[in-house]
Amino acid sequence: MNHQDTITAIATPPGRGGVGIVRVSGPLCGEIAKSFLGHQPKPRYAHFGPFYDLQGQVIDEGIALFFPGPNSFTGEDVLEFQGHGGPMLLDRLLENLLLVGARLALPGEFSQRAFLNDKLDLTQAEAIADLIDASSRQAAENALKSLQGVFSSKVHELVEQLTQLRIYVEAAIDFPEEEIDFISDGHVSQQLFTIQQQLSAIRNEARQGCLLRDGMNVVLAGRPNAGKSSLLNALAGQERALVTDIAGTTRDVLKEHIHIDGMPLHIIDTAGLRETEDLVEKLGVERAWQEIEKADRILLLVDAQTTESLDPYQIWPEFVARLPHPERLTLVRNKIDLSGETETCDLSTTPPVIRISAKKKQGVDNLRQHLKQVMGFQNTTEGGFSARRRHLDALQRADEIIAAGYQQLELHGAGELLAEDLRQAQEILGEITGAFSADDLLGRIFGEFCIGK
Amino acid sequence: MDYPTRFDVLVIGGGHAGTEAALAAARMGCKTLLLTHNVETLGQMSCNPAIGGIGKSHLVREVDALGGAMARATDRGGIQFRVLNARKGPAVRATRAQADRVLYKAAIRHILENQPNLQIFQQAVDDLIVQGDQVKGVVTQSGIRFYATSVVLTAGTFLGGLIHIGLQNHAGGRAGDPPSIALAQRLRELPLRVGRLKTGTPPRIDARSIDFSGMEAQPSDDPIPVMSFLGQPEEHPEQVSCYITHTNERTHEIIRNNLDRSPMYSGVIEGIGPRYCPSIEDKIHRFADKNSHQVFLEPEGLTTHEIYPNGISTSLPFDVQLDLVRSIRGMEQAHITRPGYAIEYDYFNPQDLQPTLETKVIHNLFFAGQINGTTGYEEAAAQGLLAGLNAGLRAQEKEGWCPRRDEAYIGVLVDDLITLGTSEPYRMFTSRAEYRLLLREDNADLRLTEKGRELGLVDDQRWAAFEAKREGIEREMARLKDTFVHPGTASAETLNDKLSQPLSREQTLLDLLRRPELEYWDLAHLAPGELPNDPQVQEQVQIQTKYAGYIERQAQDIERVRRQEETLLPANLDYSRVDGLSNEIRNKLSGIRPATLAQASRIPGVTPAAISMLLIHLKKRDLVAKQA
Repeated sequence: MNHQDTITAIATPPGRGGVGIVRVSGPLCGEIAKSFLGHQPKPRYAHFGPFYDLQGQVIDEGIALFFPGPNSFTGEDVLEFQGHGGPMLLDRLLENLLLVGARLALPGEFSQRAFLNDKLDLTQAEAIADLIDASSRQAAENALKSLQGVFSSKVHELVEQLTQLRIYVEAAIDFPEEEIDFISDGHVSQQLFTIQQQLSAIRNEARQGCLLRDGMNVVLAGRPNAGKSSLLNALAGQERALVTDIAGTTRDVLKEHIHIDGMPLHIIDTAGLRETEDLVEKLGVERAWQEIEKADRILLLVDAQTTESLDPYQIWPEFVARLPHPERLTLVRNKIDLSGETETCDLSTTPPVIRISAKKKQGVDNLRQHLKQVMGFQNTTEGGFSARRRHLDALQRADEIIAAGYQQLELHGAGELLAEDLRQAQEILGEITGAFSADDLLGRIFGEFCIGK
Repeated sequence: MDYPTRFDVLVIGGGHAGTEAALAAARMGCKTLLLTHNVETLGQMSCNPAIGGIGKSHLVREVDALGGAMARATDRGGIQFRVLNARKGPAVRATRAQADRVLYKAAIRHILENQPNLQIFQQAVDDLIVQGDQVKGVVTQSGIRFYATSVVLTAGTFLGGLIHIGLQNHAGGRAGDPPSIALAQRLRELPLRVGRLKTGTPPRIDARSIDFSGMEAQPSDDPIPVMSFLGQPEEHPEQVSCYITHTNERTHEIIRNNLDRSPMYSGVIEGIGPRYCPSIEDKIHRFADKNSHQVFLEPEGLTTHEIYPNGISTSLPFDVQLDLVRSIRGMEQAHITRPGYAIEYDYFNPQDLQPTLETKVIHNLFFAGQINGTTGYEEAAAQGLLAGLNAGLRAQEKEGWCPRRDEAYIGVLVDDLITLGTSEPYRMFTSRAEYRLLLREDNADLRLTEKGRELGLVDDQRWAAFEAKREGIEREMARLKDTFVHPGTASAETLNDKLSQPLSREQTLLDLLRRPELEYWDLAHLAPGELPNDPQVQEQVQIQTKYAGYIERQAQDIERVRRQEETLLPANLDYSRVDGLSNEIRNKLSGIRPATLAQASRIPGVTPAAISMLLIHLKKRDLVAKQA
């Protein structure tokens, strides 16, 4: 079967460290190899050398493998870059691959192509359905996660403005009796300009990497002496990771940034959570609660010697009662070296229970795996980084198309071509914010203009 | 009695869908019978006397490109022609004509009566003859049984039609015609999903009681456009003007004071009306801050004084209609010749249809026109043609055909209907077509006539004209492509006056035509050889070259989904056995039963992952079949 487009994705679970693989499949592989390696690779031969970006700068060094179709995993030409595992490096490689015309693979798409090209048998096909199912669910979750906060509201605002503009332009085309002269009345031109500016502002922000540096917020909660600091050190110390304290005063929220296998994680200490009359301290407690409410995960740490309970509500009722998302709790029983429990990790219960000794570094690996899993970086390639790369890619394509539309309008007065560009741009941004159909558009037009003779 | 002759195709209904269906089947050589309750109303325009307009003229030209009658009848009956969006680019340009009802009807009747293989019979149809899951024929009111291989039903608003004027209502197919009650009841027994829709008309007015002096007149364009690719302005009868007036605060007050006597606002009407063609009471209710609405006065013909005041469709009681009409400038003394009314009627959920417009549950039974939830003569004609040709193909034991979304507005129309269904009367708009730049009014013949010829729909005369035009375009493109302009030559100098940057290297005239500053006429005379004398050829060279970049981009998009378009989904596919689909998606797919993978992907809520699952499931079935 002949697939038209070339797909690419990071093939290794991000953040696992060591080696990071970016895989490409499709007709562009040969061309890409020449441009990214600087030479034509021999089939099925491991080439060690630098990977170049489009400006000729070295992104990374590693091994490249070229498998011409049909003797490859997918049955198409396949190119693999095996470099250092850092998510930023892999992302930069991916970004450059998209610029030369590859597109991000859909979840499970490599395996799908392999199956459709008779590279996998029927029994393996069952697994592919499961893989696509699981990974697209996770992709959806990660996309949602990536879309929280300021980025999301900016993108939505942008899409809404684009919609407004399309309502105006399409109404002018489909309902000429309304006599909207969108080509020369300046309204469209001005709105287009605003949209372009916003789009480049969002892209600039993204390019500076602040979006990529966002990580998951984990709250470390527990009564005094539950062992929060030891756990923090155990988690952080293992990777010689950067531990910084950005908090201003001890009364403020204490936020620590650590990396687990290169993936960013913000740990919020809830040391100051107690009833108090002190006004300043009260403010600090409120701020801590705001962080807790936003948290992606809450680790409730308990000294295993003090209780045998596995019910968070029994352990700390007034804390659990106030949680907006109790399903985000993980119970961590610390100090098992003293309580005599064994190192276990039970993720099937609600909440999941992990038994550790932070001091003796027992079970900490389990906890790290658990955190990586809830971050969405386990087992599948569709991690949070890919989700963001998808968004950035969509923004870039939309930006290019809107710029072309602006030209059509300003230089050539070609309203119907502008309309086509706006439609394309909205379709692309719809990959982030959800589809917007022709019928949705007509509905908005009928809502805003009194149409019909 | 059993009628002694057996037919290939039976068409029930003689409106715009029925006539195109019958003509298409007959053109293909099928023995065709058109059954109508009244021969005198064949080709009747029951709503406003206009044909074409944005999105709609695109459909008319496509019907024309496939040999249909609507455009030719419009050229013979049209009394005012305009090109809308004339300054907005060729893809969104649309021709609109006011037609004389009598002349239009006569033109259709003439085409019908001179069509070989086509017979007409006047008698209402009361029942379908269905055996098992297959239609075999129909039974008329007086018990005559007609048998045929395929049956096309185009019953318009006649199924269970209910006419409302104020709070009074009575059964009717349209003003002055009886509804089809027996047939409606019979059809409701079939396993098809039925709904109710509503549409309305304004009161008609005697032109002699209108003072046009203070109104804006809107004459035909000059030169006068034509609708058909074969049309000539000389075919047009005498041209007259339309007039524009407006409602005012007093009109709105009259309506507001009487809303409780509107069947819409008192809950008597249950059917859903179109959002883009609201009644005047709806406009005033929903857009309360607008203190004036346009009213477009359309002459009904050359031999009548009746005027169709487009924009004040209403179902308010007659006394309120009279008051509101007389509150409008120029109509102070107006005499209403027919009251406005709203009509509710049955429609069938078009999601129960295949792309050929055959019903999924009753084989050989095809539906076209308003019964599929659409509105408009053009939408009806387009479906009629498609249903008729597929009924014909069935009779000839050939594979069915429907254009894709990138080939025709007909394809967009049918795909929207069968994939999305509709909750209001469906009307075509250009914004519904994602390939709008490809689907132009000017190239409908280039998109469809060859296919029409293959299907047997296009006669020798149209085919010869088409081939001449197509060759003319190729020749002219080659002529411009073979001519280079070198900097410094006299040719270059003439062009430099128009260019923002003077010519710096040699270029062909075709490449130069891609520049926005240059038009065909700026450079056509610079190439050696004869200029083409067909203005349609010149127009095509200009448009195709100007749009080339966008057309290439859309062609890539089409190529990308082509494989999905070509991947058929078996009609009996058991979606509950496809791994990994959510229940919601399973229900949607089993409810709609898409014909292709591409259609499945257009169902709202069906994700790319679900499409992957389907693809894998299909491939697995294949493997199983091969192993067995």
